[in-house]
Amino acid sequence: MVSVLFHPLNIYILGLGGGFLIPLLYRLAKSRLPLVFFFALAGIAVVSGVSFIEVLSGAPAIEVLTAGTAPPVSISLRLGVVEGFFAFSVNVVSLLGAIHLWPRLREHYGAMLLYLIGVMGINGMVMTRDLFNLFVFLEIVSIATYGLLGLAGTARSLAAAFKYIVATVIASTFFLLATALLYFTTGTLNIDALASLPEPPAGPIATTALILLLAALLVELKPFPANGWGIDVYETAPGGIAAFVSVGVSAGVFFALYKLLPLFAPWLDLIAFSGGLTFVASNLLGLRQVRVQRMLGYSSVGQMGLLTLALALLEKNGAVPAIPLVVGGLFLNHLLAKAGLFWLADLVGRQSTAGWSPVARRRVLVASFAALVVAISGLPPFPGFFAKWELVMQLSAAGYGWTIAAVLVGSLLEAAYMFRWLGRSLHARTDETLTVTGPLQVAPVAGAILLLLAGGGLAAFLAAPFSLWIFAPLAAGAALALVERLLHPSGRVKAALALLSVAVIGPWLLPGVYGIAWLFGALFIGGGLVVGLGALYRAEPRPYYYPLLAVTLLSMPALTGAMTGLEFLVCWEFVTLGSYFLIAHGGRTGSQTLRYLLFSLAAAFLLLAGFGQIYGVSGTVDLGVLRMLDADANLAFVLLAAGCLVKAGVLGVHVWVPGTYALADDDLTALLSAVISKVAIFGLLSITYLAIRSQSGLDLAHLLAWIGFATTLICAGLALFQDNVKRMLAYSSVSQIGYIVAAIALMSHIGWVTALYLVASHLLVKGVLFLAVAGVILRTGAGNFSSLGGLAGRMPWTFAASVIALIAMAGLPPLAGFGSKWLLIGTMMDREWYALAAVGFLATFAGFLYMARFAYGLFLRDRGAAYAQVAEAPAALVVPQALLVAGILVLSFYPKLLMEPLSLAIDPYFAASLIWEGRSLEQIYDALNPLPVMSMAVVISLALFGLAVLVYRRCAPARDETGGTSPISGFLMFFKGVLGRVNVPGFSALWDGLAGLTLWLAGNVRLLYSGNGQTYALYVLVYTIALYFAA
Amino acid sequence: MDFPVSHLALAVGFGLVLIGLWGLLSHRNILRIIISFSLVDTGIHIVLVATGYVTGATAPILDDTMGPGEAALNAVDPIPSALVVTAIVIGFSVTAIMLAYAIRLYKAKGTLSIDAFTESKW
Repeated sequence: MVSVLFHPLNIYILGLGGGFLIPLLYRLAKSRLPLVFFFALAGIAVVSGVSFIEVLSGAPAIEVLTAGTAPPVSISLRLGVVEGFFAFSVNVVSLLGAIHLWPRLREHYGAMLLYLIGVMGINGMVMTRDLFNLFVFLEIVSIATYGLLGLAGTARSLAAAFKYIVATVIASTFFLLATALLYFTTGTLNIDALASLPEPPAGPIATTALILLLAALLVELKPFPANGWGIDVYETAPGGIAAFVSVGVSAGVFFALYKLLPLFAPWLDLIAFSGGLTFVASNLLGLRQVRVQRMLGYSSVGQMGLLTLALALLEKNGAVPAIPLVVGGLFLNHLLAKAGLFWLADLVGRQSTAGWSPVARRRVLVASFAALVVAISGLPPFPGFFAKWELVMQLSAAGYGWTIAAVLVGSLLEAAYMFRWLGRSLHARTDETLTVTGPLQVAPVAGAILLLLAGGGLAAFLAAPFSLWIFAPLAAGAALALVERLLHPSGRVKAALALLSVAVIGPWLLPGVYGIAWLFGALFIGGGLVVGLGALYRAEPRPYYYPLLAVTLLSMPALTGAMTGLEFLVCWEFVTLGSYFLIAHGGRTGSQTLRYLLFSLAAAFLLLAGFGQIYGVSGTVDLGVLRMLDADANLAFVLLAAGCLVKAGVLGVHVWVPGTYALADDDLTALLSAVISKVAIFGLLSITYLAIRSQSGLDLAHLLAWIGFATTLICAGLALFQDNVKRMLAYSSVSQIGYIVAAIALMSHIGWVTALYLVASHLLVKGVLFLAVAGVILRTGAGNFSSLGGLAGRMPWTFAASVIALIAMAGLPPLAGFGSKWLLIGTMMDREWYALAAVGFLATFAGFLYMARFAYGLFLRDRGAAYAQVAEAPAALVVPQALLVAGILVLSFYPKLLMEPLSLAIDPYFAASLIWEGRSLEQIYDALNPLPVMSMAVVISLALFGLAVLVYRRCAPARDETGGTSPISGFLMFFKGVLGRVNVPGFSALWDGLAGLTLWLAGNVRLLYSGNGQTYALYVLVYTIALYFAA
Repeated sequence: MDFPVSHLALAVGFGLVLIGLWGLLSHRNILRIIISFSLVDTGIHIVLVATGYVTGATAPILDDTMGPGEAALNAVDPIPSALVVTAIVIGFSVTAIMLAYAIRLYKAKGTLSIDAFTESKW
């Protein structure tokens, strides 16, 4: 009984029956229309769902036979696991789509009918095993679509619909011709029979037929450049209809391609090429779009291209077991995320991406928007991420390096325009409000997001069943968000709860972690907690800021606990996304936020490619395997190191740092600089550590050292000339990161210990300084050297903490024990890397200067009575500073406390692999007495300073002309002019130029889309002919 | 007869397809474009019928004079004809929809030139 009720044939009975009933009811009983429509649609979803579960739980595929005979004489339908998955997903989304479209569907009973028949047709395309029947269902879907496209009724949308009809009719004509010719040559229309012919169809007629068939299907999937007609429809159709075409109809066609793929075995590379080209080109063109739905259209065709590429290459390389995760994951991701975005576009009703800022007034909408953009960009926790991960692994294993590059470039471009759109909409910029009302209107979008989350969990389970703990930070964030939603605690309580969750859950993420990873994990938890305390000085509610903070802070220890590349990358992306939203939350960072995200994503993609290479070489993504790799894995190490360097913001890719740090919330900047920046360092350290332990024989040491010291020197120089205090500290931060990179570059025990020491020192020092600046800005309302000064007496605690931090950063007595950078320079000299050592000295000099400027400009410079009323910073800022200063003092005077765990962390592995002379670390440190180097640095710096003053005295114009109001700024202005004339590399201009070039390219390529239906018809024909000759 | 009628039909069919495609690309008027589509359609229908033709065979009607076994050899293949009937119906519906669009496009802009409908582009 149950099996009869839920037999897949009922899908057609419900579809056709409902279709016939609707016009009848329209005449007889209008009030019953919604009931029948939704009953039929829900019935289709339920039937496909029950059947899917049945076959999933092991039952054989359900065969639907017709006409009382077996295929190939009759037409048959089949619902196996794959069919069930596609049909069920499409049906559920169609049901949600119908709820979304209801206000429109209600107006025309014809639209209801068409929608229902269209959904049924997609099911038919998925389930039929007969080629001609496939054509019939394709036409049913097409005709339903043509009708639905007429709903908007504007001239624009009618024109677009007509272009769509012209192109798809050409495609379906080819499909029909191909079907006839295939029948003529093989004598069967049954797909199974065609696929299992003793010899594949050959000869000119059969080949032509197959290529026509392939061309028809590919054209229906809207390949570049024969897809202008599709994009026009996405732009002009009502969002709900566009969603139906983009995800529903495309799903049917894509499944047809999947089904017929065995017939296209000789041309899989060609199919993949077409898909890849479409993915990259569409996402390139998407960059130029400002109209929301057109942009989504480009993204849509791009995603179908990616799906096609994935399917063809996995099939070609026999990676069939990966198909469910890759193709299923990408499909589900696109289905739900794109449909959700189109629905959202409909709800918001703003055609231009620039007009979306009123979304920010509705938290549900903006949260949904953010989730959907994250999903469509293929980031965790959504299924697209895991699918892309597995795709890259499989492509690497098969040696498709360039294809991976194309996939990653396309993904980056897509993320760029998606996040640009999102970033502009996170803060309301006008007084406009949206007219979105009931929860029912938002329900389909919310449903799509919930399903995406479930799909993400499933995909993660398929990709790595034992890695689900990586979602713990997200779960904590979700719990905090729920508390915030239900209990509305005050801002400080929320901050305290977030920090508490870090304290409680953080250590739980570290079991089984030892060595360097454990040290970093502890550093992330401890540093995050102490520096995070600074958030308590802000009383405002900061809606949903603290859950994000908890996710970010917890993802860092989770990262150190990662055992596989996948876990590592997921946590990495969580940190990236978490910090992106935290930065954007402040609302002042503007385009810097996008810059931050794009560099972070580029870094993540480099890591992904690197892990792919490792998988390709070793067949596993277990991080432990890294140390057993040989020279084959050199590229992997280079990619991984490059990813970490980009994220660390070394010279050249540092351009995102100053703006982001300067404009982010003051307490957040402290976290970003002191704690979050160490994520990249952890990655770099682990990778070089493993690289040297492997047999790869890769020697990047010298290059890395130069990158490090060049960063240190140039950014120290740039720091010197900043007027904005936070910007100065940001450059200083990058400069210090340069030291750490250089230390890592030594690739020896001493190097690692020094690097870890510098990491700890930088965390403590920058934590103090940024929190100090937060207090200064809070109390004075000013953040520039040109307007600050004389605060030493007003803010004594802040002053004292800052001075200690500065001395520690400078590595001068009595905190010289802290100055591991002397060891660094000393080691460079031992290695006879004299040029590097010289750069090190020069950088030290610049460092001394800007540190002096910080102390003088903020605290000592006489400002008269300007800040007479200023009080000490609040306890919430002073207490964490005091804790950090205590850390500095303890580490300075009892270095053993850190040295021993460091030693333990590194020693065991290195005893055998490096020249170690049987001495303990302490002895080594004692032997490398930092004092001579330090003294040399101080002497050189003093000499340089004297020289600079001399030059200034001699050559500087009269003081009033320099415009400086203090001796320091006059001095700096002079040298800024001198250095500016010599050479200050315009890295920002370089990246802006690259972005400009990309946009220029996009602007020219898109001229292909002339808007003329006839031109588009020509493209379709030319595409078909080109495919024919290419095949 | 040496030259089977099916070859003639094939030639005519493909000829119509090509004429239709040419018309579709060379005429600006939407109605003419629709007519071109009808030509392509008709051409394909003729090709379909021609592929089922068996020289010298009879109509595929099974009765006392022709059993199933005999039919496989002496009757034309009925399947392409069956397909053509369906294809004609579909072609008819598509043409009807295109004409409906032509009417609405004309109402919207007062012209039937396809060059006038290029608002969405790039």
